Amino acid sequence: MFKKSLAIGFFMALSMFTRASAVEVPIVGNVAAKCVIVPDTAGVYGNPTPDKLSTATADGGVQPVVRFDVLQANYFKAVISTPTAFSVSPALTDVVNWTGSVSTSKVSVAGMSAYDTNKVVYNNTSEFNLTIAGTTWFKASSTAEYGSDKALPSGTYRAVINAECIAL
Amino acid sequence: MKYLLLFLVLALGGKHAWTHEFTPAYPTLEQSYMDGILVTKMLLFNRREDVTYYELSVFDGQWNSIPFAATDKIVEVKYLQRKYVDIFIREKDRSRAVYICSKSKLQTDGGNITVVSSRICSKIK
Repeated sequence: MFKKSLAIGFFMALSMFTRASAVEVPIVGNVAAKCVIVPDTAGVYGNPTPDKLSTATADGGVQPVVRFDVLQANYFKAVISTPTAFSVSPALTDVVNWTGSVSTSKVSVAGMSAYDTNKVVYNNTSEFNLTIAGTTWFKASSTAEYGSDKALPSGTYRAVINAECIAL
Repeated sequence: MKYLLLFLVLALGGKHAWTHEFTPAYPTLEQSYMDGILVTKMLLFNRREDVTYYELSVFDGQWNSIPFAATDKIVEVKYLQRKYVDIFIREKDRSRAVYICSKSKLQTDGGNITVVSSRICSKIK
């Protein structure tokens, strides 16, 4: 009788110990409407002629690519501006003529290809309404031409693409 | 299927996982511990290795600046760090304030490259 009680007690204690040693570690996640901007590829200026810097592949450049991830459709717009000035450059004594454009380079949902036809362009800025949830890659092209066929002074040139994601 | 694809793109997508996140997308202003001052809490997540500082700003619908207070207007957020920031806005500016934005601050070094400045704006509910 005593042995039986002892065995029952032992198993109860063992089961309590087992339960007590199981620790729950919570992982909490939250999926909410959000926009993520990912600078995917840094652009590089090629120097095809002495007076010109260009990100075009044909000119020896690399087009910068920015990725936008949106988790909900119709919640955000992407506003991307190409440069109108160098952030770093040697001293320039003449004007620089800037041209630039932005378009989709890759999309995660086929319907996003309509972004190019529906984009709004003003000055050096392109606006895209992100009407489909998913990922869109936008490539920008930028060209800077110096003075009237003047050679650009040697040195480092750097410009900035502004990528904005604005809640609608 | 769409979300699975999005997940795969996010998980395997770019060559660099350099992202800037600013949430919530639609913050709500609440009464702070001070009279006449409203507050909202924003979360900044920095996954841009090339950026350490983000500038906060508040705008109206026409992109005019609205006065606000925060512990720092330029916030240091190290790579892979999450930081909560409290944005304080005067109650009298409540009807004018529309956007709360965070903008990456870039360093001026590097070669002949174009870099990307990212700005994310949340809309106040």
